[in-house]
Amino acid sequence: MPVKYLSPEWKEEVEARLKKELTPERMNYVTSSMSNIYLNCPDGKPRFMFFRYENGELKEFLVGEGEPPEAEFRITGDYATFAQISQGKLGSQLALMSGKLKLKGNMVKALKLASIADRLNKVLAKVDAEY
Amino acid sequence: MSTNHDPYYIDFPGRIKMIQQEMEKEGLDVYLGSRLRTLSWTMDAFCPWRSYVVIPREGLPVAFTFVIDAARVADDSWLDEDHVRGYAPMGGQDQITQIADFIKDELKCGKGRIGYETGISNYLPEGNLTQYEYEAFRAALPEATFINAHHIVDRLSLIKDEGTMNRFREASRLTDIGHRAVYEALINGGFKNLTETEISGIATYAMRKAGSEWEWTFTGGNEIASGYRTGYAGGACTPATRRKLQPGESLMVDLHAAFKLGLGDSTVNYLLAPVTERQRWHANNYVTIVKACLKKYRAGITPSEMASEMMAIAEEGGFSDYLVPGFEHGIGMVGDEWRIGSHEGPIPYWTDPNHRYQAGEMIICAIQYACPEEQIGFRYEAPIIIWENECELLPKCPLEVLEIE
Repeated sequence: MPVKYLSPEWKEEVEARLKKELTPERMNYVTSSMSNIYLNCPDGKPRFMFFRYENGELKEFLVGEGEPPEAEFRITGDYATFAQISQGKLGSQLALMSGKLKLKGNMVKALKLASIADRLNKVLAKVDAEY
Repeated sequence: MSTNHDPYYIDFPGRIKMIQQEMEKEGLDVYLGSRLRTLSWTMDAFCPWRSYVVIPREGLPVAFTFVIDAARVADDSWLDEDHVRGYAPMGGQDQITQIADFIKDELKCGKGRIGYETGISNYLPEGNLTQYEYEAFRAALPEATFINAHHIVDRLSLIKDEGTMNRFREASRLTDIGHRAVYEALINGGFKNLTETEISGIATYAMRKAGSEWEWTFTGGNEIASGYRTGYAGGACTPATRRKLQPGESLMVDLHAAFKLGLGDSTVNYLLAPVTERQRWHANNYVTIVKACLKKYRAGITPSEMASEMMAIAEEGGFSDYLVPGFEHGIGMVGDEWRIGSHEGPIPYWTDPNHRYQAGEMIICAIQYACPEEQIGFRYEAPIIIWENECELLPKCPLEVLEIE
């Protein structure tokens, strides 16, 4: 049964999967935070998704409306672009390199975290969601 | 970062404060440096990729360089990785967006006065802001005012501090080692069948073994010329070629070493046997003018006065036709290798012929002697420090033209 993308149910399932599938070791014991800012959502309201990891452990995972908490990295793009990434139809690297997503934050650190971000996206893509 | 007990220590935070004091006097909120000389002088790191240093009115600067090199630059620099950022071809991460966002969002200077660096140079890697960059920054920061402000760094970097001088002294010691290796390869007939590129390589290997970082100049590393190539009219740029040395010709070995962004630049000239009396006459003329030049350099003299006096000596000796009437080029940390630091002369962005040298300035004593019709020439280049009543010659290699059997 698909759940609605970015809904509380979707959030709950993503969080459970992230905790189960991405162990601190798989997350390279990373300490960082990232917020995705969704523009042009179907209902017109801006949304965000926020992750905070400490030593590879997911400490905070939020999905909401309006401004997200402060994060080390801030990625801004259209809802449609993020939805394609979450469905595994578009790579996040390509989305960044084609300018569909805009990243704010230290690029050198971002490079080190690129493979981890891919792992996160792969987990998100497994959730049966309705976009 | 080195400490002030280190002979090569340079007070980089102090340099930034000096720039900030000048910014305050000139009402600048931000200094956007893009020239290679500015990057070396403020960051203590070699920045071969397009780079920028953004200096706020207070606090530490932030540098921006191509992401593939940012970690290395941060490691070499006195700045930490939070102050050396990488740009990349990604949304929000290109150099214009990153720097404009930094100025607007972090420095809150989107409406401020931004000093930047523009001008013209005969030196390709100068690094002035390009027209495209300028227009893109103007578009990204529409409420800011842009003011050409490179004179701030030019003036401040003119007089060298002790750490800089010591880096240059060490770089000259390295070129001396390179010259020794070349000399040993040439003697006892060793020059036969050697090519210019091999000579460059022999020197490079010796200098690198002794600690040189690279053969810094953008004119092709070590400059080696043999035979007719030594006699190019005005020819002060001779990247090594595959030409083989021949008996009976002249050889010019102009070596470059680098030590912590301090530069070695010194030349030794040779005559390969058999040597004619006419070749010796040219060689003696050259040595006469080198010695006269080194004796004359001191605080208070100007480039045009030097030229007049040296050309008068050459005229009297009957060899003024072979001499380029200029006896210096500027020098500083990597990227500062052509004109003398400040330029307030009649032709914009060229050395002011009436610049009066002050104690603590460094230049390259540079002499080009060339007789194209006889396919012979000699070059002298050596870093010197100007003092009140003399100059300090940094390389210790021979001034004389060496004859090789």
